[in-house]
Amino acid sequence: MARWLALFTAFIALIVSVAPELHGAETVWSGLVIAENVAQPQPIPPELTRIERPLKQLFGYNQFQVIGQSSKILKTGQEDWLATSKFFGLHVDARGETEAGYVLNLKLYKEKELLLETDTKLSRRSPLVIKGPQVGSGQLLLVLVVQ
Amino acid sequence: MRTFEQKWTAWLDGQLSGSELTEFEASLPDKAVAEAEKANAKKLGALLKREIGAHGLANEEFFSHQLRERIARESARPSGERDGGVSTWWTIRRLLWTGTASLAVFLAFAIFVMHDKNPAEQSQYLTQILNARVDPVVSPNATISMFEAKEDRVTVLWTEGLQSLPSDYAAK
Repeated sequence: MARWLALFTAFIALIVSVAPELHGAETVWSGLVIAENVAQPQPIPPELTRIERPLKQLFGYNQFQVIGQSSKILKTGQEDWLATSKFFGLHVDARGETEAGYVLNLKLYKEKELLLETDTKLSRRSPLVIKGPQVGSGQLLLVLVVQ
Repeated sequence: MRTFEQKWTAWLDGQLSGSELTEFEASLPDKAVAEAEKANAKKLGALLKREIGAHGLANEEFFSHQLRERIARESARPSGERDGGVSTWWTIRRLLWTGTASLAVFLAFAIFVMHDKNPAEQSQYLTQILNARVDPVVSPNATISMFEAKEDRVTVLWTEGLQSLPSDYAAK
């Protein structure tokens, strides 16, 4: 009985120590979002529910609409993809996986014109929001979330 | 034909009789002294019998004492040895203590490692912006800043002065 207890304890310890190293394939959601203040705001898209409060507090808008998006399953951490709307394109180039998440190179295009470029370490537990250009009465936002 | 010593021993033991007894007593130089010796010999015999009996009792006690000591020694030995079984260091109590001690050591190391990793994890916990740039030709007055809303675990890249665009660009 006591030997089994000791073995069980060792097994649990092994699992606990190894578990954080086991990451499966993860999905990165990237979206082009137009934030606006309107009289009757639409419900926030489900992809943004998780960050609804900081979006409203930080940017001061009451409606957020996704105009372009892409969900990419990352297996090697070296994939690249594009989230596009009619005029904008967000190119995401994954350049490796870290303990906390992924190293990404982001490029925002307006049609074929590069507006903004950034390198980031996207954490699994921390979304990234980029304030883009003013569009009409609203604001273009770029959002990346590890789902 | 018995010698004088043999006849003397037999006389002391009361084993002479008849003419042999008469002849032997007649041959004694001093019968009174011989009778005294015979009485002393009888006393000595009685004493020896008594002492031998007492000695036998002492032996019993001695063996009994030896047995008690041996039983005490056997009782003092570990049970495995006494039973003739295979003794092992891993008793139930030792196993429990070893398991508990191992768990305690593991927890101590885990807490130490987690405590040590906390500062690093704090920075890894939030998304980090390594660098950012805008096209200075397209947006010459643009500025970039970054901050973290730690309460909501959101990292923000904040740009100002980017070229404003008409609402048509909000099309899907």
